[in-house]
Amino acid sequence: MNSSKALAAAFLTVFGTAALAQQTPPAAPPSWKQGMTPEQGKSTLHPFAPYMTGRSAAELPLDKLKVPAGFKVEVWADGIPEARSLALGDRGTVFVSNRLAKNVYAVVDKGGKREVKTVLRGLNAPNGIAFSKGTLFVAERDRITRYDGIESNLDNPPAPKIVVDNLDPTQQPGHFWKYLALGPDGKLYFNIGAPGNIVMPSYMQASVMRVNPADGKLETVAQGVRNSVGITFNPKTKEVWFTNHGRDWLGDDSPNDTLHRVSINAKSVPNFGYPFCHQGDTIDPEYGKNRSCKEFAKPALKLGTHIAPLGVKFYTGKMFPAVYQNTLFIAMHGSWNRQPKQGYNIMHVTFDAKGNPKMEPFLTGFLQDEKADPPMWGRPVDILQMKDGSLLFSDDYNGIVYRISYSK
Amino acid sequence: MNFEHRNAGAAAWAAALCFLAATPAPAADPQLCAACHGPEGNSIIPANPSLAGQPAQAISTQLYQFREGNRKDPQMSPMAANLSNKEMNELAAYFSKQEATAPTHKTSPEHAAAGPKLAQQFNCVQCHGPALHGQQHIPRLAGQQYDYVLAQLRKFRAHARADLDGNMTAATEPLTERDIEVLADYVAGLNPQ
Repeated sequence: MNSSKALAAAFLTVFGTAALAQQTPPAAPPSWKQGMTPEQGKSTLHPFAPYMTGRSAAELPLDKLKVPAGFKVEVWADGIPEARSLALGDRGTVFVSNRLAKNVYAVVDKGGKREVKTVLRGLNAPNGIAFSKGTLFVAERDRITRYDGIESNLDNPPAPKIVVDNLDPTQQPGHFWKYLALGPDGKLYFNIGAPGNIVMPSYMQASVMRVNPADGKLETVAQGVRNSVGITFNPKTKEVWFTNHGRDWLGDDSPNDTLHRVSINAKSVPNFGYPFCHQGDTIDPEYGKNRSCKEFAKPALKLGTHIAPLGVKFYTGKMFPAVYQNTLFIAMHGSWNRQPKQGYNIMHVTFDAKGNPKMEPFLTGFLQDEKADPPMWGRPVDILQMKDGSLLFSDDYNGIVYRISYSK
Repeated sequence: MNFEHRNAGAAAWAAALCFLAATPAPAADPQLCAACHGPEGNSIIPANPSLAGQPAQAISTQLYQFREGNRKDPQMSPMAANLSNKEMNELAAYFSKQEATAPTHKTSPEHAAAGPKLAQQFNCVQCHGPALHGQQHIPRLAGQQYDYVLAQLRKFRAHARADLDGNMTAATEPLTERDIEVLADYVAGLNPQ
């Protein structure tokens, strides 16, 4: 293909034939449309936005939520705009983040009633939060900060101190929000997403990284990870496990979103393939032409196509039956880039004697009609284990946090 | 209240009511909104958007943006400042159920011909829908006030209007002033039903 034909093909890919016929500059499509083929130009698939004002638990069909026998799911707190990541303070405060808004909220117990307080304001997509030894760490779009002693000063929080900044040098519209988790090594693990659906990332993008809060030193944990918005640690093996969102516009059944495991003491940095190879075995039609999936590390588990895995947690509490010990829960935000839709549930992953994972549904019922627009009435985001062994999970679509408990 | 005179006098009167309504309100009364946004939310003031028949989530999202200070307006900011999420949801539900009346705006024949192509080319229809009626958090453009659409497109392009997800800022970046005028004239004359 000569260069002018290649250029024309590139324009066709991004903008479709209608735009090319016009002698005007091509329009920038919304970032989530990047990577569509010309044939997909008329697709009506689109992402869903949360109710920023939330919805009252009273108006939602909560009886549709199903959990295994002995388990119970209930609304724990509502009225938390776009509730995303969850973090538990030493004194029992539950911190709740968001990505499209600018605040961090705290849910506190006030005389037996839960009260939602806005504790931090004016932040830049503060999706990632983690708590340790009195300090709340917050991952914004471009930096990670710390708020020491915040739990005793919720009404007058301390000024932030910077752990690391300049984490968003290219200022692109895609995947700018970060997840944050504190590892057993005392380091903060976070993602830097690919800056678009299917684009060549810079050296520090499409990665999972970690930073030592003591000295701000950055290290790369994994590369070729399109966007991870859920990171946790195996309590026994100390591996880091994280979810990853595969690319869009490759069809309803390709590629899978994935679950990954990496030793935190690994001598080399694994590359999971993006943008060249997806799900460990599927070459990208554009970027993968001269590459092989053999070059790249494989995911631990394929999770389903466009199912959007977010929060991931190993269960270590005392409340659930013993078979749940050290098994994994994954919150599926649910698909937009496929028809019919799938996800919008919490999955449970168990491991056989050889450590091979097997996944089954744990909480279902948010998906109402897989062909409707929107197909769901709620979307699970992050999972938090409480001191009593119950699990909380957030729902950004409605601004609600739910509690899952067990009794015989 | 008599709004049958769609003239400058009525507009001035409504503008005066806007000023009165900007004082703190005890509850979320849709009639306070009607002072600026027209009877049942069908705006008769060129600078103010119609709310009637808009998707409820589109209305509540914008009220949220005003309350949080992401979107600023001398009249709307104080109106939204003290509204609870519940009140915003109630107002949104109320106006989403009102019937959008046919616009008085008449699109020029030239722009009526050019509009659909631009709406396709600049991805308007991808989110706002083939008839530009909006969906979920995305507002209806069909039959919206010309001056309002014009001002919003200019603000988005100048990175000066709050944008939930960055899509509108990105979508307006390649627009020329001429494109904005054609698009605003085109959508303002479309049937909102």
